[in-house]
Amino acid sequence: MEHDPAVIAGASLAIETVIAKAVELSPGTQSRLKQLHPLTIEIHCTQPALEMFVGVEEDGGIQIASYRETKATVLIEGTWRDFSRVATASDPAAALINGDVKISGDTAPLMQLQTIVGDLDIDWEAPIVNAIGPVFGHQLAEVIRAITRTSGKTHRRMKRQLSEFILEEGRLSPPKPELDSFFTAVDDLVLRTDRIESRLKRIKKRAASLTGAIE
Amino acid sequence: MSSQDNLTDDTTDFGYERVKTAEKAGRVREVFDSVAAQYDLMNDLMSGGLHRLWKRFTIELSAVRSGQTVLDIAGGTGDLAAKFSKLVGADGKVILADINAAMLSVGRDRLIDKGALNNIDVVQADAQFLPFEDNSIDCITIAFGLRNVTDKAKALRSMYRVLKPGGRVLVLEFSKPTSPLLSKVYDAYSFSALPAMGKLITDDADSYRYLAESIRKHPDQESLLEMVEDAGFVDCRYHNMTGGIVAVHRGIKG
Repeated sequence: MEHDPAVIAGASLAIETVIAKAVELSPGTQSRLKQLHPLTIEIHCTQPALEMFVGVEEDGGIQIASYRETKATVLIEGTWRDFSRVATASDPAAALINGDVKISGDTAPLMQLQTIVGDLDIDWEAPIVNAIGPVFGHQLAEVIRAITRTSGKTHRRMKRQLSEFILEEGRLSPPKPELDSFFTAVDDLVLRTDRIESRLKRIKKRAASLTGAIE
Repeated sequence: MSSQDNLTDDTTDFGYERVKTAEKAGRVREVFDSVAAQYDLMNDLMSGGLHRLWKRFTIELSAVRSGQTVLDIAGGTGDLAAKFSKLVGADGKVILADINAAMLSVGRDRLIDKGALNNIDVVQADAQFLPFEDNSIDCITIAFGLRNVTDKAKALRSMYRVLKPGGRVLVLEFSKPTSPLLSKVYDAYSFSALPAMGKLITDDADSYRYLAESIRKHPDQESLLEMVEDAGFVDCRYHNMTGGIVAVHRGIKG
């Protein structure tokens, strides 16, 4: 199925805008990106068939396109599922290297780009301060920080307490040692069943040979 | 004479109307004089901002590189020219051409405001008689302009003449929706909502009715492809966008 170029152009524009904003709010990133020019990464999704190009411009800007005629510096190829695995992995760089995604071409600038992305330190307070002034902007940023901190702590505490409740109080799920013991017992039972089965086969075979000798 | 243009010896289409061939350019000029000031705003409203995505893909297809010369015909308010200006860089050149002085004036003002006039020349020119040397341009674009040209075949031949061998032409234009259902919705929108919006914003429903009519009279994807090939271009192809409401045709000068 052929994709509508306008839809792809819309998605590219949206991603490009988000990246541009992130780069703008991360001091020093643009000048580091400039050094990667003229890096072009071709992302070739084989299923569904889709080609995207990520280019680093002369001014350090990132351009995303669905059509390019210049040869890419590096080609990354895989299915949509392979790319999703990389995107959702706790260590995307390791997932990219060890997964099913194929990489060819000059990978050095790709690693440099990955380092830059890893070092991205977005100063999200700046746009708030620009919008409502330094005094109220800073106060609002502090409030947001406090809310984020508290909600993070609450989330971690809730997660721990919920798992405790499921295991200890609600007994909705067995604890890990109990599960391990159960699985060991199942494995043991499987082994014993296998032994009995082979023993039965041996007895049947012997009985058959004895019956043949009497006849 | 070109059959695709419905151009006879003395009359041609002006929307659904037949007018004298010599009169068409003047009538088109009146339309664009009327809408020039609000042209970009109306484009955003009429297309829901989609015209920016259509143009974005056209720029991708141009594959323009630093140092090249780009001619943007019917460039009007200069949105494509501004993007090309960045792509060709200080060593390249962009020529913003339009037959309509009012549109060019708006375009030049916008480009001055953006600080993008360093490598852009602004030229008032008719697409049928391009005032440039043979084999002098790397890429020509004409976005939503070809349907207003009196003799489209002549304009395409003129583009072929000024392009360098290996150069490309890109024609971005309204076309024929590929789905009958979309076609009905699009017709209803074009002939009801479009003139009403034109009336509300520019107090000029007639100009927007003409735009809707001229789109219907414009050759469909295959006919335009044939016209591009007839002009001498090779490796011609087109890409439908938004269900065929718009198509971008590409041809290479062999």
